[in-house]
Amino acid sequence: MDALKKCLEVEHISKTFYNNKGYFTAIDDVSFDVHEGEFLVLLGPGHCGKTVLLNILAGLEEKSGGRVLYKGQEINGVNEEMSMVFQLLSLMPFKTVMENVELPLKFRGMDKKQRREVAQHYIDLVGLTGFENAYPHQLSGGMKQRVGIARAYSVHPEILIMDEPFGQLDAQTRYLMQQEILRIWQEEKRTVIFVTNNIEEACYLGDRIILLSSCPATVKEIFDMSALAKPRDIVSREFLEIRSKISDQTDLSM
Amino acid sequence: MFTANKKKSILYRLLMMVLSVSSVILLLAAYRAVALANPLLLPSFDQIGERFVKLFTTPIKGVPLTAHVIASLRRVLIAMGFAWVLGILFGFSIGWSRTLNAIFGTIFELFRPIPPIAWIPIVIMWFGVGEFPKELIVFIGSVIPVVVNTRSGVMYVEKQYTDVARAFGASRFQMLKEVVLPSAIPSIFAGLRTSVSTGWTVVLAAEMLAADRGVGALVMRGWMGNDMALVLISISVIAIIGAILSFTLIKLEKVVCPWMH
Repeated sequence: MDALKKCLEVEHISKTFYNNKGYFTAIDDVSFDVHEGEFLVLLGPGHCGKTVLLNILAGLEEKSGGRVLYKGQEINGVNEEMSMVFQLLSLMPFKTVMENVELPLKFRGMDKKQRREVAQHYIDLVGLTGFENAYPHQLSGGMKQRVGIARAYSVHPEILIMDEPFGQLDAQTRYLMQQEILRIWQEEKRTVIFVTNNIEEACYLGDRIILLSSCPATVKEIFDMSALAKPRDIVSREFLEIRSKISDQTDLSM
Repeated sequence: MFTANKKKSILYRLLMMVLSVSSVILLLAAYRAVALANPLLLPSFDQIGERFVKLFTTPIKGVPLTAHVIASLRRVLIAMGFAWVLGILFGFSIGWSRTLNAIFGTIFELFRPIPPIAWIPIVIMWFGVGEFPKELIVFIGSVIPVVVNTRSGVMYVEKQYTDVARAFGASRFQMLKEVVLPSAIPSIFAGLRTSVSTGWTVVLAAEMLAADRGVGALVMRGWMGNDMALVLISISVIAIIGAILSFTLIKLEKVVCPWMH
């Protein structure tokens, strides 16, 4: 089965922070595989070290132990094959939508004309045609997140990391963006690692769900969701059954 | 609801305009009352008008009012040009490089709290009373806010922006050009705004101490000659030009930073 080819192997990752008051373990021995082309969801309670884990995968944060393999090769630091949608939208307020989407391509030295074309393609894909020259402050929360998604897609990454991208959105926009992200994922097949603390969102989107425990983060259980076809009906019996199964296993964060 | 809001806001703005216009009128009326009651304290509007005309018919130090204004403006603009360019470059260097900050930052912090006017005796002793020493004092005064604001704008660029740039593989130069510089611009502009008002203040102080021409010299001349009307005219000119300078800068900021509200 092609879909089960491993594209990223996370082995025994741990992360401990030290400060003058002592130390704090955010991640404790987390291991999992990411399969090529899948939509993998990391589900965990708030403040359980999910963002730290993603930052380690993206090369923004040093790990205290373990290793990350990309297609069998150990990687350290920033990897060109990965791209990220940030939890805080992190759009440059001083750049237009077009300039924001183009920025990663500019960093990679693509010439201006080509850059425009690629960026336009992804702006169209996320449904922001006509807003190319708008500044982020002129956009709604959902539109800003679309820019973040277009920016992450623009570099043709093998793996897209999304860190609670819809956490700041209101419920209505959130549902809409969940449908949108599935549509985009189906149009531009990429491996996605999607982090959330919302069980329903995890069940709606994930091919597999990796359930993380509360602090320090460890892998509690892995759920295979491939039996449920997408788009999923969130009030169907199967959906609700698996949802309550996961919810029984989940640590409360508060 | 939308139209009602809009209506209210137009009414509201009208009311605010009436308020600010009437406060100016009130101020002028109060002035007139004091001038009438005690002509020694303040000259009347008629006297000021006459004095204003006389500034052109019998010029002070051989030149009309406009030449004095131009002399002051010239000093400020030359000094400020250097202060902006050198101040931004220096502020950027010590904000960006820890090494440079370690070397020059401390020295800068030592000089920073000295009021620019305190340099006047030293500068006059070294360079006399020509144009250069006045420009130098204005430079000293206006370069400091530029350096301070540029440095903090560069140092405190938000981590979320640099994280994005790092995650997408920006080089150090790309980081500087695409992220740090533009995100520091609002802070740099805050420095420029302060430098304009400081520069304008300092040039007048310098001119009051030692100058033949300039608006500061006119104030001094009025004082020495017990010519209160001349002092008041000079003060009004100072206020008007100061306002024009800061207004121009606000317009410039809107052009340079179109993303700001």
